[in-house]
Amino acid sequence: MKLLEYEAKRVFAEYGIPVPKGVVIRAPEEVAAHLPDLGDGVVLKAQVDVGGRGKAGGVLMADRATAAETARELFSREIKGVPVREILAEERLPIEHEYYVSIAVDRSSRQPVVLFADAGGVEIEKMAEEDESAVRRVVVSPLLRDIPPFLMRELLGGAPKELAPVINSLYHVFQGKDAMLAEINPLVTTARGVYAADAKLIIDDNALARQGITVNRDLSEREREAEKHGFSYVELDGTIGVIGNGAGLTMSTLDLIEFYNGRAANFLDVGGGADQERVMHAVKLVASMPGVNVIVVNLLGGITRCDEVAKGIIAAGVAPTVIVRMAGTNEEEGRRLLAECGYRMLESMDAAVKAAMEVAE
Amino acid sequence: MIYGDKNLGVIVQNITGKQGTFHTELMNAYAREVGGRGVVAGVAPGKAGREVHGVPVYNTVREALREHDATASVVFVPAGAAGDAVMEAAHAGIELAVVITEHIPVHDAMSAIAYAKLHDCTVIGPNCPGLLSPGECKLGIMPAHLARRGNVGVVSRSGTLTYEVVDELTRAGIGQSTVVGIGGDPVIGQTFVDVLARFEEDPQTKAVVVIGEVGGNLEEEGVRSTDLPVVTYIAGVSAPPEKRMGHAGAIIEGGEGDARSKVRRLRALNIPVASRPSEIPGLIREVV
Repeated sequence: MKLLEYEAKRVFAEYGIPVPKGVVIRAPEEVAAHLPDLGDGVVLKAQVDVGGRGKAGGVLMADRATAAETARELFSREIKGVPVREILAEERLPIEHEYYVSIAVDRSSRQPVVLFADAGGVEIEKMAEEDESAVRRVVVSPLLRDIPPFLMRELLGGAPKELAPVINSLYHVFQGKDAMLAEINPLVTTARGVYAADAKLIIDDNALARQGITVNRDLSEREREAEKHGFSYVELDGTIGVIGNGAGLTMSTLDLIEFYNGRAANFLDVGGGADQERVMHAVKLVASMPGVNVIVVNLLGGITRCDEVAKGIIAAGVAPTVIVRMAGTNEEEGRRLLAECGYRMLESMDAAVKAAMEVAE
Repeated sequence: MIYGDKNLGVIVQNITGKQGTFHTELMNAYAREVGGRGVVAGVAPGKAGREVHGVPVYNTVREALREHDATASVVFVPAGAAGDAVMEAAHAGIELAVVITEHIPVHDAMSAIAYAKLHDCTVIGPNCPGLLSPGECKLGIMPAHLARRGNVGVVSRSGTLTYEVVDELTRAGIGQSTVVGIGGDPVIGQTFVDVLARFEEDPQTKAVVVIGEVGGNLEEEGVRSTDLPVVTYIAGVSAPPEKRMGHAGAIIEGGEGDARSKVRRLRALNIPVASRPSEIPGLIREVV
């Protein structure tokens, strides 16, 4: 889950990373009360979970006289379709230089990777594309508590040594908060010291519980309902409901529908080892979406047992619209149960998808 | 075969759990069928002295290995404790840990894999279906009856899609040397590069099917690293960006790792890419 900037900055501050003085406001008139603390120049930043917020008009500069009016203007905007409900009002820092630092999970080396650039505030991908040497990277063993000094020297190159403790603290945030990504862009130097002018923190969804985070804001209402039952669920805009087990097979079923020029309505992965009850909820959930007139269940039993799935489909009781393809663990029993109840079963996913297309049209 | 054969002695961690119990029975049924050793001991803290389908249970991996000759472990330990279980296995001298558990926090996976490496323990997974060498050994949860012994290796990030492809190959009369599910998480012990290197040294394997999906660029790294004939399939070309399609690994991250650009890059390397699983057997016949 991606935290909003002010939430991320709160975490950074807990770990000793200096952040600008700031306050979250939920209405334009609130800004006035905080102006004495923030100083003459303020930055107003929309707290919306979209990429490229600055370019999309989500960050505005103001001074004492214009702060309230600028806040009102920002509250009235939509940033990439997302309404602005909260604004972070911050002191404007006397910036000397901007740097970039981020820590992410590197899939290839299976270790944390730290990226650093002598120029910040810009898009790192573009920077790396234009000049590969502009972005330095080091990987750190996950068994180490700190970034070792030799790696820190390699990372910083000629950049000021004062950045090192901040980068090391960011590494502590990354580890301590189960982050997939911890980023400061820009990381700025001022006459008063080093500051995280912006903050980005994405927490591993598999660690939300142990981080004490219960709400996953990234999910829509219906997706949240699906999550309650332990499903991965995504809504699309077609007419064929798709239930599969395992992300790969379910995505592959979706791809096959597209291959045959059909349109999937949604995508539900029941996950590994789904029992009768979970499957029943899955079928009901997918069937409940408006516009769905046929459901393809594509199931390959491994840890999931076909007989359990069959019982779940039957219990959901939406017989005429469900087309089933199942193979694998306890396949014969599953097929027998479904056959008894008159469900349509096909041997391959190609055949099942084609049959669903006929019903959908 | 790669990673192991009939003689492989296996332990199961959390053998008394629902999945551990169920799949111990299936693994040993397969071992009996092919004349292998199968699961020789189980581990479940606090449950020493019990038996699961005739397999004795111990409190720790170390205790199990004191009484039994095993070099591999299949891990069914719940997510919160699974990283610890892998480290325990590696510390006790297990050489191959196959981690079935899904939803393991990625930091736990990174630490456990790094720790295992220090102890020369190879980790497959997490969030994977395991390993199957038809006629030799099965570690994990793959439905073995879909597979036939043969000369094509299969390596995949997606569990159920692996079964789909194995089923397609078998029905087309193409047998498999070894089938490896490496897992769909962002951090996994064995990547395509590692598994393809093993296939390259395996005299039985003449070609490999590489099954990938959205997220990262491990597929491309893999096919670039091998001289074996390779056929690929990438799931998720219809996946909308920024949506989490099923599990942790299967998300398109800021435009990188989306399936369409992966397919494009693979084709640019002259690697055959199937547009659906049923095309794979035909493409295999062309490259062998």
